[in-house]
Amino acid sequence: MNGKKLAYYPGCPSAGTAVDQDMSTKAVFEKLGIELAEVEDWNCCGAAEAENPMLVYALNARNLAIAEKEGLDIVTPCSICYYNLERSNIALKDDESLRAKMRDIDGSLDYKGGIKARHVLDVFVNEIGMEELKSKIEKKVSIKAAPYYGCYLGRPPVTAFDDPDDPILMDQLIELIGGECVDFSYMKTKCCGGPLMMTRADIAFEMARKVLEAAKRAGADCIVLACPLCGMMLDAKQPDIEKALNIEIGMPVIYITQLLGLALGIDSKKLGLDKAAVDTKEIVGKVV
Amino acid sequence: MPIKTWELDPNFRNEIMNEPGGEHLAACFQCSTCTLGCPITEIVPSYNPRKIIQMSLLGMREEVLSNPDLWICLICQTCTARCPQDVVVSDVLSAIRRIAEKEEEAGKLKIESPRPLFDKAFLHQLEKYGRLYDIGLAKEYYPKKEGSFIKGMRAMMKDYKDFGMRMFKKGKMGPKAMFPEKIKRTGEVKKIFEKIGD
Repeated sequence: MNGKKLAYYPGCPSAGTAVDQDMSTKAVFEKLGIELAEVEDWNCCGAAEAENPMLVYALNARNLAIAEKEGLDIVTPCSICYYNLERSNIALKDDESLRAKMRDIDGSLDYKGGIKARHVLDVFVNEIGMEELKSKIEKKVSIKAAPYYGCYLGRPPVTAFDDPDDPILMDQLIELIGGECVDFSYMKTKCCGGPLMMTRADIAFEMARKVLEAAKRAGADCIVLACPLCGMMLDAKQPDIEKALNIEIGMPVIYITQLLGLALGIDSKKLGLDKAAVDTKEIVGKVV
Repeated sequence: MPIKTWELDPNFRNEIMNEPGGEHLAACFQCSTCTLGCPITEIVPSYNPRKIIQMSLLGMREEVLSNPDLWICLICQTCTARCPQDVVVSDVLSAIRRIAEKEEEAGKLKIESPRPLFDKAFLHQLEKYGRLYDIGLAKEYYPKKEGSFIKGMRAMMKDYKDFGMRMFKKGKMGPKAMFPEKIKRTGEVKKIFEKIGD
């Protein structure tokens, strides 16, 4: 990390369903005294829909090259964007012939391999560090949380920054701010179903149901997560899932950036907590 | 049904291994770790990535490419993380899906799943605007999936009316979301699609 500044890659959901994640990410970094400079004219990472690796490398080479010109490491709050940015970064870094192919497509893809791509959770715990964060905590958030990691933080191995079977970085943050983690280890890294939402909603809903009901059974006040697609499935779609499967869940879902923001004393509205589909007032009420 | 050995395509494995992501297919030794840990298999018991890989290695090209289960992989990477042979199962399945799409383009295969239509509609937004435009995606995808504009709009309303209202009320989708967020230098992204395709 170059001093106190990072290139910020918001990702497409930041303009819509994950505007709350975007707001809270910006507010938290501001409070921590780290400047986020949005990647100028950034393009979509290709998400899970770009299946050709060459297409993924090219789309991400452009974003990496823009950040590299500023001499800044790139950080994103989205797990899928992180996966695409970092796997492209790794592929391009050590392969001059691949970099040449990118340059042949367009000069704007001339990435030299000089920066790192990071997920916000990785930056919080491994870059800023627990000691530094602890010194900045102003409030205690005494919630019982189900830490939900989903897919791309602990796997695949090439880009992972946490354990594939029992990741712990969010657990550590939750405990740091005075929360308690419920027993959720068997569900932590299951997929939310998001990638099948538009083509096999039946399967997607069933997967999301499993996660939501497991959190409820474990006695959690809320699910804490770090990916906008998981956020969309588990929060924004939760009323649709309840209706389609004829069940009642009512499980609040918050982003780790929102939770950390509450502990840093940031106003809940500035963190977008009023924008969740499932009401988060009870969570905000546990800030002391 | 026994395999008809004379109908096998011995070149199919090479076809997959020549696709980016399919390189490590032949390392599979059929331990089934991919399938045992698969969250889709928990819900759809017929879903079996190990079997798809073995059928591919044997050269059962037609059966593999027409298998509807190809299209319900979530790319969650659980199999990739656990494979003791570094097969990168998610990427192998993705390579097989791309071969199936090429077959369909050539008129040799009919894919029942709407997933290729969705992926294409998604990528078309990127090509046009540089970023995802949700409404543009839905307006392209639903009519193609349903077979007509009217049916498509009806299905879209059914799936997204409540959701859209909810997002609007919570201030997540305002009037701004009605229009695409277009990047400045769309030409640079267009060039990527021209040279690589989707």
